[in-house]
Amino acid sequence: MFERGRKDGGETAPNPGESRSTGAPAAKPARAAGSGSGEMAVIGRSIRIDGDLQGEEDLRIEGRVTGTVKLVNNSLTIGKEGEIHADVYAKAITVDGVMEGDLFGAEQVAIRRNARVKGNITAPRVSLEDGAHFKGSIEMDAEAVEAALGKQGATRKPAPVASSSPSTAKKEESAA
Amino acid sequence: MAGAAAQALPGAAGPVRAPLFRSLVERMEDGGRWVILDLGPARPENIDLFGRFRCRLEIADLADDLDALVPPEEAGEEWMRERMEDALPPRNPEPVDVVLCWDLLNYLQPAALPALSSRLAARGLPGTLVHALVAYRDPLMPALPGGFCPADGEHLVRRNAAPDERPAPRYSPEELGKAFREFSIERAILLGNGMQEFLFRL
Repeated sequence: MFERGRKDGGETAPNPGESRSTGAPAAKPARAAGSGSGEMAVIGRSIRIDGDLQGEEDLRIEGRVTGTVKLVNNSLTIGKEGEIHADVYAKAITVDGVMEGDLFGAEQVAIRRNARVKGNITAPRVSLEDGAHFKGSIEMDAEAVEAALGKQGATRKPAPVASSSPSTAKKEESAA
Repeated sequence: MAGAAAQALPGAAGPVRAPLFRSLVERMEDGGRWVILDLGPARPENIDLFGRFRCRLEIADLADDLDALVPPEEAGEEWMRERMEDALPPRNPEPVDVVLCWDLLNYLQPAALPALSSRLAARGLPGTLVHALVAYRDPLMPALPGGFCPADGEHLVRRNAAPDERPAPRYSPEELGKAFREFSIERAILLGNGMQEFLFRL
């Protein structure tokens, strides 16, 4: 079900006969090069995964995934054809397709111009291209990002980040 | 530099100096944490600017929901409040400190303004600020909200102004003060592009 693809991203042909829908966890890439090798695993356009997706290699998704995606030490690309309804944890995340859920990037999250994203982003570096559709929140406070990513350790969803700043009333006071 | 490029028309592409926006940015420079609710679309420039501060940026992109916010004739205030609540991001335990409302009020029906005020107040605390840009001097404005974004910490610029125009509602400060009943107008300034810059305080 996983294909090998070039990291520089040519379109990957769909696998018409391969489709999977399961409530069981751990749909795991089996044979693909690790991070930094110039190759990544690809989930093709016809593939549907329902469950928890985990792995130790870079991954490009052009299919549809519902559930959770965890690539703690690797990069995830949601391609133009990709559609994700899941919370996503990865070292670096690039979105070029449809994404609904929360994004946790240990290093960065990049939203490309074709992307349609609904959810919350937590990452030390966030970029968004003009034309991208985004609804949700972006945590840009380094301390809060660190706390959130540290808390969940890329393995579970964090609790909402509590304010560590002076309250609005205090800001009002200081601004007066 | 950017100020010199300010244009006279609401649809103009040049940056315009916005003193109240500048005052907001200065407040953020105090180093505290801020929660900003931007009612406009996601813009790279907003992320670049606010990424300099300790903040969470919530992006509502309400322009996408304008059709859903047109009330049917028989709709009451409750209907409007519910639609507005649906259009805004889910409430977060952390209250909103600043709301950015650039151009959007011009495109909302008058009946939607009190509902917006009510829903924003529910997300804030006393002291929450709403920074708004409202068409004021010119009778026409672009047919669609253009989506302002910061050119820097002192200037705002309209992106992608629609070529067609429509009449501007030209809300007066009194009308807005009445519609935003949970808020008071802290300051209002007429900008070089003919728009009125408002700072409301909860």
